[in-house]
Amino acid sequence: MSSPSDNTIRDFEAAIAELESIVKKLEDGDLSLEQSLALYERGVTLSKFCHARLEDAERRIELLSERGELRPAPAGLSGDDPNR
Amino acid sequence: MSDLFDLPFEEDPETLTTEPEPEAPAPTRRIFTVTELTVRVRDHLEERFFEVWVEGELSGVRLYNSGHLYFTLKDSSSLLKGLMFRSALRYLKFKPADGLHVVARGKLSVYEPKGEYQIVCEHLEPQGLGGLQLAFDQLKTRLQAEGLFDIAKKRPLPALPRKIGVVTSLDGAAIRDILKVLRRRYRNVHVVIRPTRVQGEGAAAEIAHGLRQIVKVPHVDVVIVGRGGGSLEDLWAFNEEPVARAIAISPIPVISAVGHESDVTIADLVADVRAPTPSAAAELVVARKEEFSGRIDRLHERLVSCARARVQRLSRRVHELSGRRALAGYTTRLAMTQRRADELTRALTDSLRTAFTVRTRRLQVTERRLDAFDLGRRLARNRAALVGVDARLRQTVVARTHRARARLGAFAGRLDSLSPLAVLARGYAVCWNDDRTRAIRDAADVSAGDTIHVTLSRGSIAAKVSDVE
Repeated sequence: MSSPSDNTIRDFEAAIAELESIVKKLEDGDLSLEQSLALYERGVTLSKFCHARLEDAERRIELLSERGELRPAPAGLSGDDPNR
Repeated sequence: MSDLFDLPFEEDPETLTTEPEPEAPAPTRRIFTVTELTVRVRDHLEERFFEVWVEGELSGVRLYNSGHLYFTLKDSSSLLKGLMFRSALRYLKFKPADGLHVVARGKLSVYEPKGEYQIVCEHLEPQGLGGLQLAFDQLKTRLQAEGLFDIAKKRPLPALPRKIGVVTSLDGAAIRDILKVLRRRYRNVHVVIRPTRVQGEGAAAEIAHGLRQIVKVPHVDVVIVGRGGGSLEDLWAFNEEPVARAIAISPIPVISAVGHESDVTIADLVADVRAPTPSAAAELVVARKEEFSGRIDRLHERLVSCARARVQRLSRRVHELSGRRALAGYTTRLAMTQRRADELTRALTDSLRTAFTVRTRRLQVTERRLDAFDLGRRLARNRAALVGVDARLRQTVVARTHRARARLGAFAGRLDSLSPLAVLARGYAVCWNDDRTRAIRDAADVSAGDTIHVTLSRGSIAAKVSDVE
């Protein structure tokens, strides 16, 4: 239900901004219980999304050629070389 | 009257030489008109100095509407007027300005109406590094006027770049520094490198082309362009217009990282963010990630604690309501409220459980990070230091107290030895007259039959004088 690919979340920046406004609203109080619950749930979704986005990229180093082609960088360059 | 003004030196020089004045009969004397002399001087100068090189500092530079340039060349003690015609001026690559140190090539000539000699320049060139500096200043002024450096145009760096573009040489230290920092601080990074030359003829065009290409790679959200440190000449590509233009038209933020902290390049001025070195540029991108992950954690904690407070308030209310059930007649309504509360509590508890799981995981990560910082050991070290200080403090206080006590003892001893009581303790006694106002020092002070008092070490005695010897 609240996977990182949640299509109600535009991108990382938007998610953080929304999460911030939700926390602020909740802390200010004055909300009905239903509203609080809905906000809370949305907040948890957003927070999960953000963390997932922080972790989900994979380490990769590519070279872009003059002709605009991408290929993996040699291991020595990427620093994964154990001799370094 | 008119012949008074008919002065000889306004006449033709030939006439003058043939008719010497009577008061100065020297036959060799020859008088020129000002113009004649000036023309002679001019011819002489132009012949002797038809091509000279002279160096000096430009001052009083003025461009006239005619398109000719007038200036003064000076050094610490002399001035030389100069001019450069529009035809020659056209070929200059820089704009002459006051304060520039230049070498001028030209011929000397005389400006007859003012009797001033001057150099008519065919060529001017700035001296030393001045040439590059000048090109820099002039490009800077031009781009500034176009608004390429405007602060308002600087874009913020993306919170979380999906891919990081790098335009630099594969041979330099810059790329290794960048990758090293990224690897250390941003494990799961995706980098796209566009290798280019970064110095020498044509490097600027390559960098510009690379920049235009890399910004089009999908998901590249930020670009680092730069190189390691070097001389002004080495860094020159980053002061050239094509690079500046490519940065300016980039649709994504560009970080310039030209490894020279003291010299600002044109690329630095156009870029959205300037990093002093390639490593610093990599840190700027990575710092964002850590900053955000901390921010999310804090938001998450606030979210959870809000929810927890809400649940507590709710269960308190449910309690109160159930307590009042017997008194109030709203059994049905209360039962419904109770049920609603139960449902909501369960929903919240479920959410909280999920949240706690996530939070616990984050906590573990944070703890590992903290461990990495070795906070514990540092704390222990600080505590040990504190204990040490404390002990030293206590020792100092104790030692000082001892010293004070010893000194006090010594004083008391001296006081004792001065006290008459101490003398009495050794068997001496003091005799007083009857009303105890005076100590008796002389036997003549008393007569037989007087009452005297004798103070001993312990107690005193009243006595009668039986005889005075």
